[in-house]
Amino acid sequence: MTEHTPANHAGGQKELPTALSDHLERTREAEEVKKALLARPRLGLRVQLLLGFLVVFLFAVGIAAAIIVSIYRVEQKVKFLEVVNDYVLEIDQARRYEKNFFLYGTNLNDALEAAYKAKEILEENRQKISRIMGPDQWRRVHENIHGYEGLLEQLAGHDRNKGAVSDSVKKELELKVRKKGQRMVVLAQDLMRKEKRAIEAAIAGSRRIQSYSLVFLLLFMISTAYLISGNIVRSIVRFESYAERIAAGDFTPITPTRRYRDEFTNLGLAINHMMQELQKHEAMLVQAHKMRAIGTLTAGVAHELNNPLNNITITVHMLLEDFDELAREECKGMVEDVVREVDRAKKIVSNLLDFTRESETKLEPLDLDELVRCTLELAANQMKIAGIKAELHATENSPRILGDSQQLIQVFLNLILNAIAASSRGGKIQLLVHPADEPDNLSVKVIDYGTGIPKHIINRIFDPFFTTKEKGKGTGLGLSVSQGIIAKHGGRMLVDSREGQGSAFTVILPITTIT
Amino acid sequence: MSKGLEVLIIDDEEIVCKRLKPAIEKMGCTVETFLDPVSALRRIDEKEFDVVVTDVRMDEIDGIQVLEHARKKAEHTKVVVITGYAMMALAREAMQKGAFDFISKPFKPDDLRRVILRAAAELGTSLDYEVPAEDPDSK
Repeated sequence: MTEHTPANHAGGQKELPTALSDHLERTREAEEVKKALLARPRLGLRVQLLLGFLVVFLFAVGIAAAIIVSIYRVEQKVKFLEVVNDYVLEIDQARRYEKNFFLYGTNLNDALEAAYKAKEILEENRQKISRIMGPDQWRRVHENIHGYEGLLEQLAGHDRNKGAVSDSVKKELELKVRKKGQRMVVLAQDLMRKEKRAIEAAIAGSRRIQSYSLVFLLLFMISTAYLISGNIVRSIVRFESYAERIAAGDFTPITPTRRYRDEFTNLGLAINHMMQELQKHEAMLVQAHKMRAIGTLTAGVAHELNNPLNNITITVHMLLEDFDELAREECKGMVEDVVREVDRAKKIVSNLLDFTRESETKLEPLDLDELVRCTLELAANQMKIAGIKAELHATENSPRILGDSQQLIQVFLNLILNAIAASSRGGKIQLLVHPADEPDNLSVKVIDYGTGIPKHIINRIFDPFFTTKEKGKGTGLGLSVSQGIIAKHGGRMLVDSREGQGSAFTVILPITTIT
Repeated sequence: MSKGLEVLIIDDEEIVCKRLKPAIEKMGCTVETFLDPVSALRRIDEKEFDVVVTDVRMDEIDGIQVLEHARKKAEHTKVVVITGYAMMALAREAMQKGAFDFISKPFKPDDLRRVILRAAAELGTSLDYEVPAEDPDSK
């Protein structure tokens, strides 16, 4: 029989330092992640919100300024309309006096005065008016009013030298005046119309600015809100995924994903800390459960040790008693017996010692059937005491799986001890190591033909602290810890049981290509 | 010299049988040893033994069955049960079922000799053998 020793065998003397350095390594890693998380510039949620509101506010200020400017423009235009109005009034006035003059021969000077005033307004506001109707048109208007003035002055001259001019000349002049006057009125009204249209356009523009800016402000606020809340929601979603992976047993620390830090960074730090503690507790739980299994095994070992010890005692006493009478060969044979029995005792203890040794988690390619065989050896004494036989069936040359040998032995040992406890004296348990139904997976089945698990509790057997054993006998941690270990190995555990007929626990583990 | 006792020793440990046989024979007894309890039972059916020394835990048949079998065969047979660590319950059961005495592993040949001497005394046979007094430090 080849003696299998778990893979950590070689590191006997180093186990404490490596376990310690493992712990230190993890602590250092955690410190580094913490530093990286805190190294980024801080941009708190409050500051993010304030910045967002500030931007929206600045935008609103811009809008208000635009509205004020547009209103000011309208005001200016309205003021100017009054000027234009004055101009039109003067021209109307001039024409009314002109008509009076032609009808009654009066008011010619008044007409002239009004014309002068109109011209003055025109000249004073040359720039503004040119802007409305164009410089050419202004010049035309100005020429026209100038001509009108000239004609009126001529008329006035004629009027002063009564009778010096013939009626026909007078008539012709009158016709000219009327024509020019009419033209002047048309132009003035045109100016008025244009100015009114300009005001309308300015008001419409102002209204457009107002309504557009409202729409823009709304869009701007929505996008700012979206940006800020997006940041928050993204972080929450991120932490949701963290929670899921932590629940699945992945305790990799949270690392920086953004260029700045905020309140979520603190949450991340707290979660990292929590994971460290969880890991510590999980390790303690696994260790506690292991110690319990060791306790069970120790009783068996102590019992089994009695046999070689007894053989040695009897042999050395007889050797002592008969030393003088015995032949040399016989003495030698007895001493050889003692040596053999000492070896046997050593072996009984060594498996347990290997398993007891506390060591860091170490993943390596493992032969599952070898591991199960090793576990069976460990439980051999228990089976002897309980009077139970074990059968192991394994597919030859199965691919290997990646795992921690001690932890997996702990899982199989737990299943085997459970199976022994469920079986009655003279019963048997079967261990099958075969490819699992799903590809690239191996399964280990531990089957007993014992009491079975009642239907109403089968869903709870993997719950921590759930036990059917009487108080003080079971911790209720075995299957829960086992499931945790298997989940960490990327596998899963299944149970199938019929009350009174037995149970089958299946461990499914993914194979590895690493050799 | 008186007639010795007929002693049967059953233990699935070969060395126990190999070493106890000459040790008990020194007391003037006839000793038969069996590694296999099944053939031992067959032998008990054939022959009445004065003393049967049996290990309590063996694969197919345990010491209690041997005890019951031997007591059924011959009332006077003294059955000595060898027990291991943490088997006090079994020892008690054995005593209740009429075992003469039990002896815990690991034991010295003299421990067994002392029990056999007592059995011989009860059976009215005196063996011409003296066992040194029990070493008080050994327990």
